[in-house]
Amino acid sequence: MTGDSATVPATDTAALLLGAGVDGGPVDWTRVLRRRSFLELDALARAEALLDGPGSRVLCGPFDRLESPWLAPQEVTPQADDGVVVARGVISGTDAVVLSIEQAFQGGGVGEVSGAKISQALRLAAADSRAGHPVAAVLLLETGGVRLQEANLGLNAVAEICAALLELRPLAPVIGVVAGSVGSFGGLSIATGLCTHVIVTPEARIGLNGPAVIEQEAGVAEFDSTDPALIWAVDGGEQRYRTGLADTLVIDDADAVRDAVRGAVAAGVTPPGRHRSERLDVLDTRLATIDPADPPEPLRLRTLWGQAYEPPPGPAVTSRRGRDVQPHAGATQSSMVPGERGLAWTVALAGAPPQPVIPSVLRADRDDTVFLAVVPDPDNHFYRARQGQVGLTECAALARTLRAITAEDRLREQRRPIVAIVDLPSQAYGRIEEMAGLHQAIAAAVDAADAARVAGHPLVTLVVGKALSGGFLAHGLQAAQILALDDPGVEIHAMHKAAAARITLRTVEQLDELAKSIPPLSYDVRQWATLGFCDGLLTVENADNPTDADVRTVLAAIADAVTRARPGSVDLSNRLDSAQAVKVRAASRAVRDALAAQWPTPR
Amino acid sequence: MRTLQFTFPAVSRAAHRAHVGVVGSGDLEILFEPTGAAGSATVRVRTSVEGFDEVWQATLQRFFARVPLEGSWELNDAAATPALVTLRLQQAAQAAGGGASTPSAPTGTREAS
Repeated sequence: MTGDSATVPATDTAALLLGAGVDGGPVDWTRVLRRRSFLELDALARAEALLDGPGSRVLCGPFDRLESPWLAPQEVTPQADDGVVVARGVISGTDAVVLSIEQAFQGGGVGEVSGAKISQALRLAAADSRAGHPVAAVLLLETGGVRLQEANLGLNAVAEICAALLELRPLAPVIGVVAGSVGSFGGLSIATGLCTHVIVTPEARIGLNGPAVIEQEAGVAEFDSTDPALIWAVDGGEQRYRTGLADTLVIDDADAVRDAVRGAVAAGVTPPGRHRSERLDVLDTRLATIDPADPPEPLRLRTLWGQAYEPPPGPAVTSRRGRDVQPHAGATQSSMVPGERGLAWTVALAGAPPQPVIPSVLRADRDDTVFLAVVPDPDNHFYRARQGQVGLTECAALARTLRAITAEDRLREQRRPIVAIVDLPSQAYGRIEEMAGLHQAIAAAVDAADAARVAGHPLVTLVVGKALSGGFLAHGLQAAQILALDDPGVEIHAMHKAAAARITLRTVEQLDELAKSIPPLSYDVRQWATLGFCDGLLTVENADNPTDADVRTVLAAIADAVTRARPGSVDLSNRLDSAQAVKVRAASRAVRDALAAQWPTPR
Repeated sequence: MRTLQFTFPAVSRAAHRAHVGVVGSGDLEILFEPTGAAGSATVRVRTSVEGFDEVWQATLQRFFARVPLEGSWELNDAAATPALVTLRLQQAAQAAGGGASTPSAPTGTREAS
């Protein structure tokens, strides 16, 4: 090292990111060597690094042997704790629970058991907090998302985690830490977007869709998944921090991460309405600065949007609509087939033409019931959402509508039922979507749906066609009651079949064969209905063009579901208590009971 | 996935149970409990790789000849090499407080605290 390097200002970005800088002081490269890497720690060591001193306890650890019941039948070796460490202890004097995902096991994928550990721990923390003993939660999110071997149970687990997180968040802070190296992708990136405070390192990544699935679905011109510079420019920890989608950027050092967590815990809860996922004003105005036909480079977004999560300094632009408008040739290539059932059923059930909130989000009112659907918009300026995918503006429109209904009914004795009509091929797979933070937009929709349910609106979901993955998480899976048509065209899953086969290293035929004995893997709605969260499988004559009799059948089923939801609890616990859940979700229930038994009551 | 069962004669006792490792690619986790039939080490291996039964037999036999720690051993394996399996076994024995109580502990094994 030359003498000159010692005089480089500590603001030198590279030095800071590598941990060589001292605030306001000279660069000291030996600090890089002295630090204790947080990334190199396993899930347990990460949790221990954050908790104060000795005295922390692991709940539902390996010797409780709460492993996944679904992996061994698929010839996959299970892990004894299913890859999530639940550690109780104290952080900076506050009771806390750390939920640490082991990224080395199944890429941190969320399965039935690992998901139940996270959601049930959050619920126990919420119960203690409500009783006057706040328990902060720290989520160490290193995950590729839903574990595809447990597809529909994993997808549901994410919905339950989001609801539990939102139950705790007003009572005690929920801190998300994404350190790397897997990052936070898939369903749990939505949970990241719901957190009180998000801490990242430069090695972290946060995104809804990983680069590889975007390239596979949309082509290499849309996203080159072999280009690390591009990936970190879009999803990277520093970019998320510089564009206000993360709150604290720390170097890969266990002490630095711990100090950041302590600071966030000490800062306590965020006032209602101020969480990122509640700031629809920011979401709307930020999206208005982007014309997808001529999108800004990721670096430009830092000045366009600014580091604070506030309405952006950059100007609003006029986005060009129309099916020919795209930034590069083939940008709209897609394997997704636009579904027509969402519109058909919305019109039929409402008995009147729906009102577009935006062209791809329809609202219809019948008596005191509100119907909401996401439908294809072939002219969508966000060109990756033209086949009915749930994209950025769809989430914003859903969230805005749900918030408006909740606000309108604030003083009503009986809140209006809200029915989500679901026929959507998935969330939108695109580079602009990830750059703009699709996970954050979906978090806004999830937050709004949860808030409506908690406020007392009977939320009912009616699946009339496809209900896939992040799209279903954004629109449908927060409902108190879920109904589905008993029809071969109805498909509920964590990922479409070809991609799921590829990722789990199987052929489509092998996947179909396995699904016969492993219900959460199945694409058949009758198998899905056995998992414990189906509140009605409805037989209709024509699922594409509902007959008058079909409409009567479904309206009656919705009315029944509303009646069941009215006095019911406003959380999602019925999904664990249904008759089917008792049979099929025994592992989730065992986690719930064991965690509750081991949860300390020190006072 | 393949499940294998082994039993080896064992003479030494451990103080407590131990857990090491993770079921990550090229790695394995071990759960050891000082319970079960006296005088033997019972081993269950679940491995994602088929066709290595004899390698498991040889690796485990070699280890338990040197560290005959009685109790129940569960190995959840994601294609670890024999060297790593042996390392993890030694770590588990050490963590259980039984790794050095054998007369013929291999050189390189640290004393258990």
